Amino acid sequence: MRNFTRVLGLALLLATAASGAAIGERAMRQVHYVGIHPLPKSEGKGICYIEGPHVHVYAADAVQYRDHDGDFYFVGDPVAYGYEGPRFAYQGHHPIEVNAVVGVGSPDEEWCYLTGPHYHNYAPPEDPSFTLTGGAYFYVGTPPPVYLEARPAMLKINALYTPIVYERPVVEVEAPSAWINVRYPVAVVVVPEPRAVVEVHVPQPRLHVDIGIGFGGGVFVGGGRRHHDDDDDDDGYRGRGRHDNGKHKGHYK
Amino acid sequence: MSSPRAIRVLAALALLATGACGKGGDPRIGAGSAGGSATAGAGAGDQRRAAVVAAWRKAGLAPSELVAATVPIGDDCATGKVSGVDVAVCAFATAALAKQAEERGLAWVGSTTGMAQAHGTVVIAAADRAHADPHGKTINALMKQAPAAP
Repeated sequence: MRNFTRVLGLALLLATAASGAAIGERAMRQVHYVGIHPLPKSEGKGICYIEGPHVHVYAADAVQYRDHDGDFYFVGDPVAYGYEGPRFAYQGHHPIEVNAVVGVGSPDEEWCYLTGPHYHNYAPPEDPSFTLTGGAYFYVGTPPPVYLEARPAMLKINALYTPIVYERPVVEVEAPSAWINVRYPVAVVVVPEPRAVVEVHVPQPRLHVDIGIGFGGGVFVGGGRRHHDDDDDDDGYRGRGRHDNGKHKGHYK
Repeated sequence: MSSPRAIRVLAALALLATGACGKGGDPRIGAGSAGGSATAGAGAGDQRRAAVVAAWRKAGLAPSELVAATVPIGDDCATGKVSGVDVAVCAFATAALAKQAEERGLAWVGSTTGMAQAHGTVVIAAADRAHADPHGKTINALMKQAPAAP
């Protein structure tokens, strides 16, 4: 009887271990990405340079990614996370033709809500809605209603980048009068401890704002040379499996 | 040591556990039929695989020899490593069948960073199981450098 109990206990232990392993496998479900993107702390930080559709077993955050045909697409500034490669400076908000950037999928226009000067690893399409002034691209087209509708929620991406110290583009020109953030100004938030002085010169309508923030709605930015920050906070990382709801704010097709 | 009764109970429990865990766990489920009629016959993809390996070498990657293997992507597959990344290269009769096999390629990748992409009539799957490619540069290069097989 003692042997029987021992064998039974061993069998139950084995069965438990086997089902535990199965649960572990299920917990490591693939998450679908497309394009380059930052790596979370748990993966050693830095950038994943895989450009095509690929999978990882970690989630994407809710602020810096959009859905592109079920894949997570990174809309933030990769230079903030240590990206090395071709980079293009932008000033303020602008659309992103995701399918053109990644070379796959259906037509998909997403919006970048980074308010100050920032980088992407792609140039905008050759289109009169973008103008290259002072080394940075300004969006001077007419945004669709969804841009304004989604903006209040999407602006929180700026709070994520404010504490990151890195070499931002320096844009020292007057913004074109048709620039999106002249025609649709962004509310400015003043933070208590400024990292750099940002002066905003807006041609028409006349407006002069002096604010003290690290990453604002300015055109004249004294960003200076900065270094990569160790903190790429991945709090709020979300999502498991193929991302197919296609209902993110700012997303429209 | 053990009574016959105990052995019977152990065997029954082991059988139950195997049955329960086996549901959906067999990586080859569904692969045979999909790959069986899809490929142009075992070994027919060797030339196409050789072209892929040559392109990798030309691009400065370090591919190992690809060895014929049974994987749940298709019937005409070979596996190896490229700069520490596991790869499977499978040949199909048509580009459409290769495209369809991408999902099975991702199933082969499993719980790790990876990618599966059709290049003409071949599917290349890459899985970084050894964490040899933390920034994905090898996977990106081997996918970008692979030619589209006719």
